[in-house]
Amino acid sequence: MKKLLAATTALATGLTGITASAQECTNDAWNRIMSSGTLTVGVKADYKPWGYRNTDGDLIGMEIDMAKDVADTMGVDLELVAVQSSNRMQFLEQGKIDLMIATMSDRADRREIVGIVGPNYYTSGTNMLAPKALNFTEWEELRGRPVCGKQGAFYNQVVEERYGAEVVAFIGNAEAKQALRDKKCVGFVYDDSSIMADLASGDWEDYGMPMPTEDDNPWGLAVPKAEENCVFGRFMSGMQYNWHKDGTLVELEKKWGIQSTAYTASQHERFKDWLSD
Amino acid sequence: MKRHIPGLSAAAKTDLPVLLPPPAPRHHAGVLNFSHWLASIPPWAPFVLVLVAMLLPSLALAQDGATTKDSPFTVLLRWIPFLVTKGFVYTVLISVLTMLLGTILGVILGIGQVNPNRAIRSVSYWITQIFRNSPWLVLLFIVMLSFPFRIEVFGLTIPVPDWSKAVIGLALPVMANISEIVRGAIGSVPSAQWEASESLAFTRRQTLYQIILPQCIKRMIPPWMNWYAILTMATPIVSILGVEEILNLTRQAIEAENNRPELLIPFYGFVLLIFFAYCYPIARLTVRLERRFAVKL
Repeated sequence: MKKLLAATTALATGLTGITASAQECTNDAWNRIMSSGTLTVGVKADYKPWGYRNTDGDLIGMEIDMAKDVADTMGVDLELVAVQSSNRMQFLEQGKIDLMIATMSDRADRREIVGIVGPNYYTSGTNMLAPKALNFTEWEELRGRPVCGKQGAFYNQVVEERYGAEVVAFIGNAEAKQALRDKKCVGFVYDDSSIMADLASGDWEDYGMPMPTEDDNPWGLAVPKAEENCVFGRFMSGMQYNWHKDGTLVELEKKWGIQSTAYTASQHERFKDWLSD
Repeated sequence: MKRHIPGLSAAAKTDLPVLLPPPAPRHHAGVLNFSHWLASIPPWAPFVLVLVAMLLPSLALAQDGATTKDSPFTVLLRWIPFLVTKGFVYTVLISVLTMLLGTILGVILGIGQVNPNRAIRSVSYWITQIFRNSPWLVLLFIVMLSFPFRIEVFGLTIPVPDWSKAVIGLALPVMANISEIVRGAIGSVPSAQWEASESLAFTRRQTLYQIILPQCIKRMIPPWMNWYAILTMATPIVSILGVEEILNLTRQAIEAENNRPELLIPFYGFVLLIFFAYCYPIARLTVRLERRFAVKL
């Protein structure tokens, strides 16, 4: 009995030892990046203008510019990996990418899996592209009606649970928009900034964005969970703070033709250097 | 009473047992064969189909009077070099390497299925059955998620790219099907040859490698090529797992062109045509080889 007790105690001490060491910073990812001289960043290849491809196949966009700035500041080479909404967190968990800047909404459940560090660099809300003829004004009107969406977006579930809409999720936006044109659904639920860009393109004259924008949700970049409160996480917080402070994000919005948002402007104001005028 | 002679003074019929002509085959052996089906398509048909489909959206656009935007066809032309060099080349690479790996493993497994040792035979049989009867996508998921993305050997980091994992995932079902082809081909050689070679003092190994397998090769070529065409057509499923091949890049190209829905048919139509252009000659060749090597008994 004594032996058993001793063994249990030893085991328990051993276990606490392991947990304690897990919370300490080993900075594995950071050290690996520095020793290999390459920062691997997961970005979108299907989310214009944040991350997409040019005809040469190179990844370009606002988030790619941000990734470049991170690599330049660290003094390492940049390697871009195209990720999808459905696999971006797994890639970071597996260590296939060191950093993820991939239009991800900052949600509580996601913070349990990956290390999302503030201040958030962008925000967007949910709205719907719908034919003007349907005269929608309230989200409640969607109850029991088919709504198109894109696979992997968190608000598909929100629209389904809160308003009882029947979401039909497509793999790409073009497919979802074609379904909307074919009248397979009454609207296309998506980011408000992206919908505004579509409406401005002139291809959607009989359509509008009728709903009040919901769930204005900040976007978060993410480092591996173990790095969240260590060098890498702290460093990325600093990067984002500086992007807000010196107005990089406001400039990038302009560069990539994104309708300038109140969020980046207000954050620029908030983090402004108090000594500058 | 006058007697009639059948065929002369009466209808040509008899109540005596006669040998009837063999019944016409109910269905052609090739009906269930993918290559036969593909080779039976007239080569112009997919092109006409895509052309007609492409006319519809561009007509709709012309009515809109939108002149500021490039026509879908111009957009497609701009992306074709990228889609072919960065996308289709990978599709071909994946299919060729998969076939190579699947064939090597499949031949070993197939020979294992006719091994005199009962344990080897049943292990080979069950491996074949398991991989032959599992959904390809499930096998792909298991391989993609369970394999590391890089291997570290003696401080040397070897990256394992996604497409190489796709090769392994796709090779498993191909391996099992090649195994069945090999087993079937060995079984199709008349068993008298085994007995004849035994009487000539050939060992089992010599019989298999010097007498039976050389005859199997030409019987295996048509079904083997049939499987290559099936495999090539199936490679786009790896796009679900984020491997960068033609279907995934097509989707990204449509995104880069602002997701205009009128681009869907030209872009996916192009993907259809490039697959057809690649697989059709293979299917025709398969059918020709099949005819040439048809076993005459």
